[in-house]
Amino acid sequence: MFRFRLDGSSGVPPYLQLVHQVRQALLLGYLQEGDRLPTVKDVAADLVINPNTVVKAYRQLEHEGLTGGRPGQGTFITATSSPVPPAAHQDLRASLEAWLRAAGEAGLDDEAVTALIAVARQDLKQDLKKERV
Amino acid sequence: MTWVTWRQHRSQAMACLALLAALAVYAIIEGTSMRTAFSNDNLAGCLARSQGTGCPAAVSDFTGAFGSAVNIAFWSVCLIIPGLIGVLVGGSLVARELEYGTWRLAWSQTVPRTRWLGVKLALVTGGLIAVGAAMTAVITWYRAPMDRVVGHLYQNVYDYEGLVLTAYILCAFGFAVLAGLLIRRSIPAMIAAFIPWLAIRLVIEFVFRDHFMAPLTATGTCVQNSPQPHCGMGIGFVPPDTGHIGDLVLSVNGNLVTYQPASRFWPFQFIEAGIFVALTAAALGATIWLLHRRAAWTA
Amino acid sequence: MTQDDADGSVPALRTDRLGRRYGKMWGLRDCTLEVPAGAVAAVVGPNGAGKTTLLEMIIGLLEPTEGRVDVFGQTSRADTAGSLGRVGYVAQDHPLYRDFTVADMFHLGRAMNPSWDQNLADVRMDALSIPVNRKIRRLSGGQQAQVSLTMALAKRAPLLVLDEPVSSLDPVARLDFMRDVMAIAADQALTFLISSHVVAELERYCDWLIILSAGHVQLAGPADDLLAAHQLLTVPRATLDADLPGTAIQRTDSDRHSTVLVRAGADQFAGYGRPGWQADPVSFEQLIMAYLQRRPSPRSYDNPAPAAERPGTPAKEVTR
Repeated sequence: MFRFRLDGSSGVPPYLQLVHQVRQALLLGYLQEGDRLPTVKDVAADLVINPNTVVKAYRQLEHEGLTGGRPGQGTFITATSSPVPPAAHQDLRASLEAWLRAAGEAGLDDEAVTALIAVARQDLKQDLKKERV
Repeated sequence: MTWVTWRQHRSQAMACLALLAALAVYAIIEGTSMRTAFSNDNLAGCLARSQGTGCPAAVSDFTGAFGSAVNIAFWSVCLIIPGLIGVLVGGSLVARELEYGTWRLAWSQTVPRTRWLGVKLALVTGGLIAVGAAMTAVITWYRAPMDRVVGHLYQNVYDYEGLVLTAYILCAFGFAVLAGLLIRRSIPAMIAAFIPWLAIRLVIEFVFRDHFMAPLTATGTCVQNSPQPHCGMGIGFVPPDTGHIGDLVLSVNGNLVTYQPASRFWPFQFIEAGIFVALTAAALGATIWLLHRRAAWTA
Repeated sequence: MTQDDADGSVPALRTDRLGRRYGKMWGLRDCTLEVPAGAVAAVVGPNGAGKTTLLEMIIGLLEPTEGRVDVFGQTSRADTAGSLGRVGYVAQDHPLYRDFTVADMFHLGRAMNPSWDQNLADVRMDALSIPVNRKIRRLSGGQQAQVSLTMALAKRAPLLVLDEPVSSLDPVARLDFMRDVMAIAADQALTFLISSHVVAELERYCDWLIILSAGHVQLAGPADDLLAAHQLLTVPRATLDADLPGTAIQRTDSDRHSTVLVRAGADQFAGYGRPGWQADPVSFEQLIMAYLQRRPSPRSYDNPAPAAERPGTPAKEVTR
């Protein structure tokens, strides 16, 4: 049975953490098509969190097409592989490693790298928003 | 609520039963030896014939042997026992809930708090009446021979026969329950109730009791300082100056005796019990009314 | 049971300008809020904020001075069997009769509540391995808390009020207790109202938030919506509160920049965005602390709060 974790200090809302963990598990192969996720009650009791949070996470996963519920039987994984094809995955990974190496040589430590990524992501988000408007 | 009341006062009930049992043991022992002495000395006949003047030695022996009530220490203890029973049972009834915060549990069940209190008071009052009646019955039984010799209008006897013993207990109980509601701590409530109870008790006994009804006067039938055995006031003198066993002599002025006749025992009992029961009702009524009115408790 | 399954039409709790005065002082004033059925709501505030006053009026232990409180559509009248029977209550420090056995406590529950479910009580004690013939004073703090919770649950009331249920428990007992509450919330059609002055872990438990301060409601609503309505803006020091979207809740000034917690509608957030401005989401704890730390608003939170507290204050060092 798949067990979730909760990081109380990460600043990420609990339901998002649950969604991320399922996505990650799918990427890494720890969850496969047909696996049954634990019931809302089990997760709520296990993590000691509000069951509505779990419902929200499961609903989000279903919305993303990763899971499907069978009434009376539970929530099952429907997607099997990552939405990103393995080749693209490898390419992205390679360019990321190259960039990290360059950043390290430029003198950025881990924190600076994270901050830079956050700022760039934020700016990109705003640009995308403006593009949409 | 009946079970709840019983369960919460179970140990108090057991203690009262133990007290009654101890009293009964004492009563049986004393009462039996009293009855033995009474019949051995053939006091019954003597009293019937001559009101006791014919057998002064026997009477004096008898009262000397069994008149323990004149002992001040014993009397003081006997005086406060009904008060103690009352305040010990009543002081914690409401106060304990407020003291320990269990009122939040007790009054949030599906029973409104006035009903909670009403049932509790009714049942515990009933229990105390039973205890008082039982104590009175036991004491009255054991003292029967002595009562035939000296009557029961005398202070120490009157307090434990008839109705007043139960009434004393109830009044102390009522005061303590009210004090518990106001003070919200058990022990201080018991003390705060006991003191006025004792004060009222003593005042009524020593100031008012002798005059519940206007005393009668009569010419003394006994002669002072004569070679014959004489009579007068006090438990050791049989018969009293009026010549009738059981009369309570208040004062002797030359030949004029002021007294309360023995027949007034029950009227006096009713009057005194009535006073204390009225006080009880007032205290308990005030408690119920205050509980109903006060809607905020911080204990 | 989750909010999905609950009947959304009748709120579990609704108050209308509820208030309570103690002598000259108002313990709670102008309290208007709503909690839907199936929610796990947290009532947060410092000691003396009016939490206990509010809870006691909901339970039926206290008569309101003004306004009214409805539980599942029916107006509560203090100290009546009808109102008392609708709400289960675990008071702070979970008071029990220490001389009673667990079985005695349940007997009391049976005697004083017509809706008592003895089977539920037995099953819970069995599941928690608490011997029913043991005296209360012989149980651990955590076990006593569980017995108190069982008393409230076995009453079968649809609304459960827990007043600081875990503040007297050790960390393990605390977790076990809340684990139980979460499992029950998942299972049954119950609404929970939990008061706490410990803010740290609330985010996990509650989906509805009520912030009380100085006898007034400062904020109330669904936790997710409230979080979405607040952002932490990092702006140049010279920016005035009036230039910011929405309402400034808390502002911290440094030499060159200020950090401002603002509350605004989604449309207001979408519109702004200037160079040098940074917007971050607010954590649950940050949100609650900000509202508790500001000067309490005497108005109901529904009314717009007055414009920013201190525009253009002289610079202060960042203390965080």
